[in-house]
Amino acid sequence: MEEIKKIQVVIAARQFLYRLGIKTFLSVIGVEPESFEVTNLDELKSVVKRIKCDFIIVTEDIFPDSQSCCMDYFEKYCPKNKIMILRSNATGECQYKNAIFNMDNQKSVLEKFQAFLFEPETENNENDPGMSLLSDREIEVLKVVALGYSNKEIANKLFISINTVITHRKNITEKLEIKTIAGLTVYAMMNNFISPDDVRR
Amino acid sequence: MMKIYTMNKNLPFTANTKMADVIHRNYILIPVINRFGIKFGFGNKTVIEVCDEYNLNVSFFLEIINSYHNPNYFPKEELQNYTSYLIIQYLRNAHSYYCEVKVPEIQDYIDKISKLTSENNLRNIQLINNFFKEYRLELKKHLDNEEDEVFPYIISLEEAFATKYCSDILYDQIVNESIEKYEINHDSLEIKLGDLKNLLIKFLPPEFSNETCQQLLAELFRLESDLENHTRIEEKVLVPKVKLLEQKVLEASGRN
Repeated sequence: MEEIKKIQVVIAARQFLYRLGIKTFLSVIGVEPESFEVTNLDELKSVVKRIKCDFIIVTEDIFPDSQSCCMDYFEKYCPKNKIMILRSNATGECQYKNAIFNMDNQKSVLEKFQAFLFEPETENNENDPGMSLLSDREIEVLKVVALGYSNKEIANKLFISINTVITHRKNITEKLEIKTIAGLTVYAMMNNFISPDDVRR
Repeated sequence: MMKIYTMNKNLPFTANTKMADVIHRNYILIPVINRFGIKFGFGNKTVIEVCDEYNLNVSFFLEIINSYHNPNYFPKEELQNYTSYLIIQYLRNAHSYYCEVKVPEIQDYIDKISKLTSENNLRNIQLINNFFKEYRLELKKHLDNEEDEVFPYIISLEEAFATKYCSDILYDQIVNESIEKYEINHDSLEIKLGDLKNLLIKFLPPEFSNETCQQLLAELFRLESDLENHTRIEEKVLVPKVKLLEQKVLEASGRN
């Protein structure tokens, strides 16, 4: 199985105290990330290119002038919902739902951070269309189909009859409109149902 | 002013159809016509005039474009008017068009997308890329099999028919491994291509290199429809003709 990997967080803020504060806060809420600290926009740009970061936390002071929301650049490297911005207030247009303002008290900061970091994967439907398409059982079957097991092997593995396996496979193919095993394997990997290391043949 | 085409779109093209109208009625035929070596600029010339100019067999040309144009078109008596050499030559041209033009074009789009994509999506694009590579191999294998096995068999049939001499080897082949036994259908290839399209349309996380994605999809659709028509020509034009040829060679050999 996959080993537990430290999440990677990029913290971008001009002031040392901000960066320290954010790091401390993360450890208070039980997150011990591998953190990368940067102090200006150029450093931030270069670091997101270099590493695969899971989250970006920025304070608005690293942006020149009032362009506090010119974050489009980073969306290539990090999905929108994995970027948090610390701003003075909510005025101006800001498309980020993860934003912390000066007026936020401890409780709301805590809640916002938790929602930001611990957002369950299943809520993230746009990256995970499979979840809404297939039932849990069908996903189980899909996993083993994608790994190249025969109907008989799948029946034994999942303690179901071959007919049930066939029915599941038929439903999977109909729902996804993907008919080949190779295609199903790609689908399963895209959705992280299986990892490339699992593929046995 | 736009010219209004009132004629029934499904009527087959004839020798007297204007070549320009062939394309107006069905632009899918553009690569097909070019595969015959015909270039644009035909003015008001008819199909037969253009074919004469390029020294092409007009009934064969019509057979091909009509099969592409109308899935239900079924050639009948016309089958006799040209040799299988012509069909094979056409199919070979089509094969090299797929392998040397179409497939590399699609590969280029996939490569372009991998360069433009975000790191998060790169893995998905690589999966798509591997899937397409598998498809390429399978397509190549299928086309090679036709070129190395099926076509030479048909050519020896034509030769036997012309020389009225059927060798024992050929006789055995006709009896035991007739054209019916060859895997002419491209079903598994079509299914794979369909899967690829659905992976892109339905399941690839939204891409910011959207335009390239659109182009890629459009090319996949074009390749798919071209291949479908290609299969139909093999099934409806080539196979019946070869069956007839097999029968005639058998009769002439006097061993029946």
